[in-house]
Amino acid sequence: MTVDSFREYLQKLEAEDQLTRIEEPVSWNLEASAITMLANEHDDKIPLFESNETESAQLAGDPYRGSQRRPWDRIALGMGMPPDVSRREFYEMTIDRLQDPRDPESVSASDAPCKEVVNTDDVDLLDYPWPYIHSGDGGRYSNLHTLVAPDPDSDWVDWSYHRTMIHDSETASVLLLAGEQTPNLYYYKYERRDEPMPVAIVVGAEPAVQFSSVMWIPTGRSEVEFAGGLKGSPIELVPCETNDLMVPATAEMVIEGEIVPNARRDEGPFGDYFGYMHGPRRSMPALEVTAITHQKRPIVPFCVEGTGVGYTENSTSSMEIGCVGPDATLGLRAGGFDIDLCVPWQSTPRTVYVISTNSTSPGYLHELANFIFTTWGMLHVDFFVFVDADVDPLDQRAVLESLALHADPDEDFHQFGVETMPKVPLNIYQTPSEKGNVQTGTSKAKTAKAYIDATRGEDEAPDPTVEDVDTRYWAQTLLTDAGANADHLQFIDPGETGR
Amino acid sequence: MTSLKVHLDALRAADDLLTVDERVHWDEEGAIVATEALRHNCEAIHFGSTSGEVDFASGVYAGPDQISSRHHRPWRRIAASIGLGRECEYADLLDVLSDREMRPIEDAVFVDPAATVEDDVDLYSLGLPTVADEGRQLLTLGLVAVERDGTTSWAPVRGYVHRSSRLRISVPRRFVDWCDGERPASVVLGVPGASLLAALQGWTQDGGLIKVPQRACGLDDIPLSRVGDRVVPASAEVRVDGTIRPVDESFEGSSAIWERGCETATAVFDADSLALREDPVVPFTPLGAPLTDDIHLTSLVEAAALFRRVNRYWGVSPVSWIQLPVEGRLGLCLVSSEILYSGFDWQLANALFSFSEFFDKVLVLDEYAEPTDLARALDDMWVKAHPGNDWIFSDPNAPAASAPMYRRDGETGSRLYISATWDPRWDEDYIAPRVTFESSFPENIRESALDRWNDLGFDEEIR
Repeated sequence: MTVDSFREYLQKLEAEDQLTRIEEPVSWNLEASAITMLANEHDDKIPLFESNETESAQLAGDPYRGSQRRPWDRIALGMGMPPDVSRREFYEMTIDRLQDPRDPESVSASDAPCKEVVNTDDVDLLDYPWPYIHSGDGGRYSNLHTLVAPDPDSDWVDWSYHRTMIHDSETASVLLLAGEQTPNLYYYKYERRDEPMPVAIVVGAEPAVQFSSVMWIPTGRSEVEFAGGLKGSPIELVPCETNDLMVPATAEMVIEGEIVPNARRDEGPFGDYFGYMHGPRRSMPALEVTAITHQKRPIVPFCVEGTGVGYTENSTSSMEIGCVGPDATLGLRAGGFDIDLCVPWQSTPRTVYVISTNSTSPGYLHELANFIFTTWGMLHVDFFVFVDADVDPLDQRAVLESLALHADPDEDFHQFGVETMPKVPLNIYQTPSEKGNVQTGTSKAKTAKAYIDATRGEDEAPDPTVEDVDTRYWAQTLLTDAGANADHLQFIDPGETGR
Repeated sequence: MTSLKVHLDALRAADDLLTVDERVHWDEEGAIVATEALRHNCEAIHFGSTSGEVDFASGVYAGPDQISSRHHRPWRRIAASIGLGRECEYADLLDVLSDREMRPIEDAVFVDPAATVEDDVDLYSLGLPTVADEGRQLLTLGLVAVERDGTTSWAPVRGYVHRSSRLRISVPRRFVDWCDGERPASVVLGVPGASLLAALQGWTQDGGLIKVPQRACGLDDIPLSRVGDRVVPASAEVRVDGTIRPVDESFEGSSAIWERGCETATAVFDADSLALREDPVVPFTPLGAPLTDDIHLTSLVEAAALFRRVNRYWGVSPVSWIQLPVEGRLGLCLVSSEILYSGFDWQLANALFSFSEFFDKVLVLDEYAEPTDLARALDDMWVKAHPGNDWIFSDPNAPAASAPMYRRDGETGSRLYISATWDPRWDEDYIAPRVTFESSFPENIRESALDRWNDLGFDEEIR
């Protein structure tokens, strides 16, 4: 069953008793994010803030945050998958869908909910309740949206995910970090040609669009087709009012504009995805808004960044597990690598990934790591950990055991040089001077990246206590009969039986 | 006073003990079920229907892995087993263990042993659980008690039933040396947690102690009994009396984790008599499985020893806590400490390497890290430590650690410590504050959110 809009997704959450509608006014000024942070930490319902100072729009706090035990569960809901899908089934179903992309369909503006209100004249970003998320942030943000930007030299249009800090009625700064697809288009094509980059920021897109925008879709491939694959049916698109871009028709809101060349506005500090308030304030490309269209009383989703670390989930960390993981797995398999799964380290989004593989020769792992670290979008990632294929990379206990017992400091930690590799400045281990404030948004200083071979050596035996599935099932049946709560334990995963 | 029976009752009362009523055979079946329970963070398990004289129990000194939930406290059952309560803080438990309080034997309570002597000695009749490929009944959570020159000591023991009246056991070599030849002895199973901890403290660590019963009584006020000239825990579920005799033979089979931390020796134990309590219960560990009781016990004992040493080493006590996470089977050490000066992290990590044989990886955290937040500690390892500058490898001449699976031939290699602490040379402005509820919102916003929480339709009880 498909989910056609963000609104429909929220209704599904509500039907599952996973959403709380908050009718009494809650301010966009820290209050909504404080409540959302509590909900994230306590693994509670998704808050929908129906009322705030502006009354022009509603806020949804971390709507894609999964449960701490099953971080993929709301991503699965957003893709219309069964509610009890196991983690391995989820990965394989998502990969299957990505391998079945669907062409989008165009609809007229009159059939597009995102055109219920069209404003091209007196555009005012400040009419809307963009949340001020952490005290100490550089400003108010839209940080859970899809940025649509075209390649000036082809038909390719990139859909990606770049937070945007609101400055005034018509301008904002957009976090564009070179090394990623859309930033590369801006810095190395548009700006060098002294041309503005037309963009559309799609706020409250249907789930499949949001999910595809965080994935590592290869350059040149149609992201909207992959979104259609995830959804299981075509994404409906509608033309923008002030540029030639096509945007999802069911979006809550679309901000049209252009990122102008050779203009910068302040961006940050911001409480960032790795769990720390990250600074210093820096200059980022400036967005000039040309139009805003939206549904009546649109719902603006936001993410309380910095909470998705450790034990707590938020939209970013759950989309890492639920979207980036399956996509990266598919990408590496498509690249010809023999891997089982590639998944983010659950408690540390975007910095470290775990790859399970049957091919564990040193040269193979080096080549695999080399391939990954040189692809676009890897400026956030510092570590890859390789484990044997019989280790579940989603089981942090098992991965930590592999790290402790099988990764020999003498020969299994491989750094690609000490100061040789690029890094986004979104980190806390570089000094402000090392981060610098260079024009393309990468750190001035280089850093190191490493892969860790936590696979067993040739003379290291596998865990002798791992029994076959039937035996384990018998044991688990005894335990559940004795009163063990199967609902709260990751017991035999039916999706694993084919392994 | 926390005997095993009292401990089991307390676990049951806290809904932390399940009873498997279906008949489970000692030959592998018990270990398979126990392994599955441990691997999935189940409650402790009491096997109430077995094919031998004894019931078994698993996980009574183990706990759930901490990495999967912020609510998990792997040390909770051990703390409860020595009377500190289930809510005992990790640092408090470390304090108690590292304090090494002794209670004079003359102040101990002596009672008759709870176990009564059986007519016949048939160790096979016990039905002690075995693990795959062993095929022999195993002793995995027991003690051997020996008296010498008026002093009784207890040592940890791992072994198997070799004949109907003989055990083959592995014990710390220092203990065998102390015994100085063949001696009357008792092997006791189903003993209080305090006696297991004390025995590990006594014989598996440098600078250990002989007076283990006194140490056990210092941990928890356990009653003692005299059997012959030696002292044993009065509440032992099973006691085998006989003679221990060291032999110059290797010992095969899966080892307990404590054997990785000390040199061991093989001994033969010839049984003269067998004593059982009514409805005896014997805790065991499925050797080789993750999160077993022996991993938890050894992890705490080792952490406490290291905590004691490093906080007395430099004349100050900068270390807040030390953990050898059970998830890593002691192959990794976490230390939270004030960094006294630039380079202190190096000194600290390398002192820990010197004081323990288990691990060759140390993660140094700042003093604000919480021992209850393993996920966040590991997060700091990935995001706070510079991947090039703060992952520090020694030259490749360090001795091999004993917990990891590599370099078991003793070949030298490198050690690694990761400094996830702020560089003392940094300006205060460089140091990024954590995103927390407290740091992200002013007091009025926090109070408002907390006050309104219950009216906003959420389910969970708020902090």
